[in-house]
Amino acid sequence: MYKSLLSFSLLMLMHSASALAMPEVIITIRDHLFYPSEVMVPAGKKVKLIFVNQDNTPEELDSFELNREKVIFGNAKANVFIGPLDEGEYHFFGEYHPSSAVGKVIVVSPEVFNDVN
Amino acid sequence: MISRSLVLFTISLVLASGLVKAEKHESSNNVVDKIYHPYVLPLEQEFEWRLMSRQNDEGNSLVQRVAFGHSINDRLTLEAYLVGDRDEGDDFGLVAYELEARWMITDQGKYYADWGALFELEKEHQEDQWEFTTGILVEKEFGRASITSNYLLVYEFGSTIENSFHSEFRLQYRYRFIPEIQPAIELYTAEDFVGLGPSFMGIHRFEGQKQVKWELGFIAGLNGDSKDHTLRVAIEYEF
Repeated sequence: MYKSLLSFSLLMLMHSASALAMPEVIITIRDHLFYPSEVMVPAGKKVKLIFVNQDNTPEELDSFELNREKVIFGNAKANVFIGPLDEGEYHFFGEYHPSSAVGKVIVVSPEVFNDVN
Repeated sequence: MISRSLVLFTISLVLASGLVKAEKHESSNNVVDKIYHPYVLPLEQEFEWRLMSRQNDEGNSLVQRVAFGHSINDRLTLEAYLVGDRDEGDDFGLVAYELEARWMITDQGKYYADWGALFELEKEHQEDQWEFTTGILVEKEFGRASITSNYLLVYEFGSTIENSFHSEFRLQYRYRFIPEIQPAIELYTAEDFVGLGPSFMGIHRFEGQKQVKWELGFIAGLNGDSKDHTLRVAIEYEF
């Protein structure tokens, strides 16, 4: 029983190291809009999206494609971890302002990502 | 890369499920229930209704739960339940109350898998019979699919029941096809019960945080009984 638990825990810890050295992207929420509204990230890597909400009211990020929901309180920031993702476009929106607060994550190959950056 | 992760994660779950098989416990008539995800959203409250109807060689048992839940912060949510079932005389009535706390331990997607914990305290109506459940909730995402597992340890105690421990293991493989339809396969195990079957879940959003989530599952018992299947339904309205 304890061997099973130990094996399971070690495996989880080994893979937790992958959270280190993660690319980061900052997205600002202002007047219920995302700036930038499109961000480019490399395929096959975990990425940390840092949402900085400059509005006084909260916003809730929602994306079925990214499988993420996250509340970002007013005048606060919140981290959203995504990936590893395949190449493509992944849309997200703010639940409180779905008509204006929209954006997308564009996932490109690591080569293209390095060329652009 | 995804397939390698899937294999590693599956091996981990199989190893960990040995914990459940190693435990000695008595029969659980309601092993098939909800499979919990390790996530909490602040500013969220919900009404929930669940139904579990099990048909086996001993007849039909019906359990329903209604609940109200409210998140306390971005890590912790509380939910209070009223539990009803149908007795031997075919009368349906209140049988228990339950308070549940779900704790999101890690941020979604930050580590290899997402971790949460569950704590439940249930008291039988008008009887000194209690049940405390605690467990670990683990979810791993593989592209559009995800595997969720619940490892639960249950302690029953009180003056009208023999104090005892038992454990349960629940596993769900879910494919996020479209928001409204997400097919899944679910596995439930306890000492004298193994159940496996398909389920479907979905979500429909209204404005703001208002949304309806639904789940429908049909779990067949693989115990050797000539008949053993459970229909489970859950509807949540979040606002």
